[in-house]
Formats: sequence, C-alpha cells, structure tokens
Amino acid sequence: MNNTNNNNNLFSLSSFRIVFSNPLYVTISAITTTLFWIILNVAGELLFFSPIWVFYLPDDAILGFILTNITAVLIGIVLSMNIYIIRNSKLKLGKSLFSGASIGLISSTCASCTSIGFALVSTFGGIGILISNFFSVYEIPLRIISIAILLYAIYSSHNRITKNCLLDFKIK
Amino acid sequence: MNKFQKNKDSNNSERKSFSDIFIWRIFLVVIFGIGINAIFFFQLNYDDYYVFAQEINYNNNNNELSIENLLKSGSPILGNPDAPITILDFSDFQCPNCGRYVKNTEPILNETYIQTGKASLVYKYFPVVGFDSMNPALAGQCSQEQGKFWQLHQVLFANQKPIDSGWVSNDNLKNFASQISGLDIQKFSECLDGERYKDHINKDLEMAKKFQLRATPSFIIVNNDGTNPEILTGAHPFPSFTAIIDNKLVEENKQ
Repeated sequence: MNNTNNNNNLFSLSSFRIVFSNPLYVTISAITTTLFWIILNVAGELLFFSPIWVFYLPDDAILGFILTNITAVLIGIVLSMNIYIIRNSKLKLGKSLFSGASIGLISSTCASCTSIGFALVSTFGGIGILISNFFSVYEIPLRIISIAILLYAIYSSHNRITKNCLLDFKIK
Repeated sequence: MNKFQKNKDSNNSERKSFSDIFIWRIFLVVIFGIGINAIFFFQLNYDDYYVFAQEINYNNNNNELSIENLLKSGSPILGNPDAPITILDFSDFQCPNCGRYVKNTEPILNETYIQTGKASLVYKYFPVVGFDSMNPALAGQCSQEQGKFWQLHQVLFANQKPIDSGWVSNDNLKNFASQISGLDIQKFSECLDGERYKDHINKDLEMAKKFQLRATPSFIIVNNDGTNPEILTGAHPFPSFTAIIDNKLVEENKQ
C-alpha cells in the first residue's frame, strides 16, 4: 500500500524532477555539458589551448556559439536521463541521443577547413570534399536539426521515465 | 513463489544491476575520454608540429623559410621584408575560417606588427578546401605579377560565398579583379586563363605538405633568416600571435 502511494507520488512529478533530484545525475549532466561545450568550441575554433588558452567570439560566430551552448546543455540533460533509464529499467539508450550529439558535433566545425575535412578528403577523395563541404555550407541548419533531435530525445526519455508500465523501479 | 522462481529472479536482478553499472560506467569513461582528447588534441599537435618544424629547419641548409628565399619564390609579402619576424599564412580563399581570420585578426596583426616593422606577412597558397579553390589561388598570383595581390586578397575575402558555389569562377574572378584600380585586366585574364602560376601554387602545396599542415588557415612564424619556426593551426585570435611573436622579439633582442 505504502509502495503504491510512493509510486503514485513519483509519477506525478515530471521526469526532470525525478532524474535531477539525485545529485549524481546533476553531476553527470554538468560534466557532460562542460565537456561538450569545450569539444564543440574547440572544433568551432573559438577556444584554443595553445600557444595560450584563449576564447574569442567574433561577430560571425555568435549564432553558432548560441546553438553550441544549447546543444551542449541538451546533450548533458539527455545523457543523464538515459543513464537514469538504463539504471532503473531494462530499456536501452535512445538512438536520438547519438544522432543529435553526432550531428551537433560534426556541424559545429568548419569541416572543410579543419583536420576533419582533411581526413575526409584523404580517405574518400572527391566524395570527401563533397561531404566536408556539405557540413560546412549547411552548418547552421544542421545544428538546428541536431537541437531538434535532442529535444525529441528528451521527450522520448521523459515518456520512458514517466510511463510506469515500461519501468522496473528499484523502490523498496 | 517457488524456490526455483526466486533463484531465477535473484540471478536476473544481479545480472541486470551488473550490466547497468557496467554500461553507465563505460559511458562516463567514453565521455571523459572524448573530453580529455579534445583538450589535449591541439596541444599535442602543436608540440608535434613544433618539433617537426624544428627538425626541418635544422636539416635544411638552404632554408626555404628565410625571407630571402621567400622573396625569390615570388610569394606575396606584406610589410618590410627586413622585419625580424616572418609570418607565413597558408590559406584558401574559399575557406570560411580564413575569412574569419582576415576579418578579425589580420587587421590588428597588420597594425601592431606589420606596419610597425616588427614582422612581415607572406601569403602561401593552400587551395584544398573545395574543387574551385585552385581558381582564386591562380588569380591571386596573377594579381601579384602586377603588384596587386593584397588588393585582390581583400576583395575576395570581402565577397566570400559558400564553398564551390561558383563565386570563384574565372568570369567572377575577372569581375573582382576589374574593381582593383591600376590592374591591367587584359594581362590578368591571359594569366588566369593560361594557368600561368600553377607550378607556383603546387610548390606552396608541397611546402604545406612538408610541414604537415592539416587545416586552413595555418601559420608558420619564423625568424627573418628562417630559423626557429613555430606553427599555429587554425583561425587563431590575435593573443595567440602576440604570445609567439613577442616571445620571438624578446629572444631576438637578447642576441
């Protein structure tokens, strides 16, 4: 009876409150967000570690930087929620986490100008140029798509967490 | 619930909790791994390039990085060639990050180091970004033939459009060149159509390969005599250049 009440109370809360009431998931989310913020800004050539540590934000990079911040935060949230799901159910990670994070990562850089582009060109030749140019030319739309995928991933994770028929909670 | 069922449930639960812990720990390790790699990627590359550049310098008696040889090669040079420091800029007119550098960093660099005679800037062609990248490189050297490279350089970067969108077709390049006062468009067109400086561009590409440059723009900052090269990869902001150039100037003054 007591368990049933607990379950009802639990499911009346949003998935965010369920997941982030545990400091572990807040920590995972914060670390992931910070790491992806660094990775995305290094890839976008806004953050440099050598010869000195320097961050700069030219006018033409402001929109990209805003989208980068949103992507990093969303990846942090989605990853925490998915780890929560793995730990508390038999479900697997959502595919949308990977697709959203990958598109966000690739589109955050001028693929043609960086070593990513060079690797693509040396591996695939002319097709590599086409691929890297696609990511460079459609950088902003791709980042918006990655944000949309990550938002879908949050929605999907929310459903997985709040639909008790799919979960096997460790409530004692 | 019988004994067999209890044991089965207990085994399942143990297996599940082990796999859960295993999976989420693997994820954390992967995320940390990616982050740490990203943090040290540029630092390691920088060190590797630096060592490689030093090796090339020591093994090359006829130093191709000396301002004397750069002048002989016909590369476009901005500023006083006698300046103690030389900055080699390996760039592609189609590369968006090169455009960012030209717009944000080059003007301050020019004002602080080039106009004051502390450094000179040498342009090196690195046309690797798109299928059309060779065209503006050829146009650049054709304008250099008439002493108008830096004017065309400004016009091209000011009008930069998406990679391989046709903005650097020969016709468009001739239109851009016609905006430069004092440039003989007839001579320029003949030079561009005849691909006169293809070998020059290919030599620049060879030099970039030799120094293992893997991004546009890339910079090699050397002493005037070609010694002590340091490599910067990417569209670095002004403070990165200051850190290297000021250090070199201090060393130069000590000698």
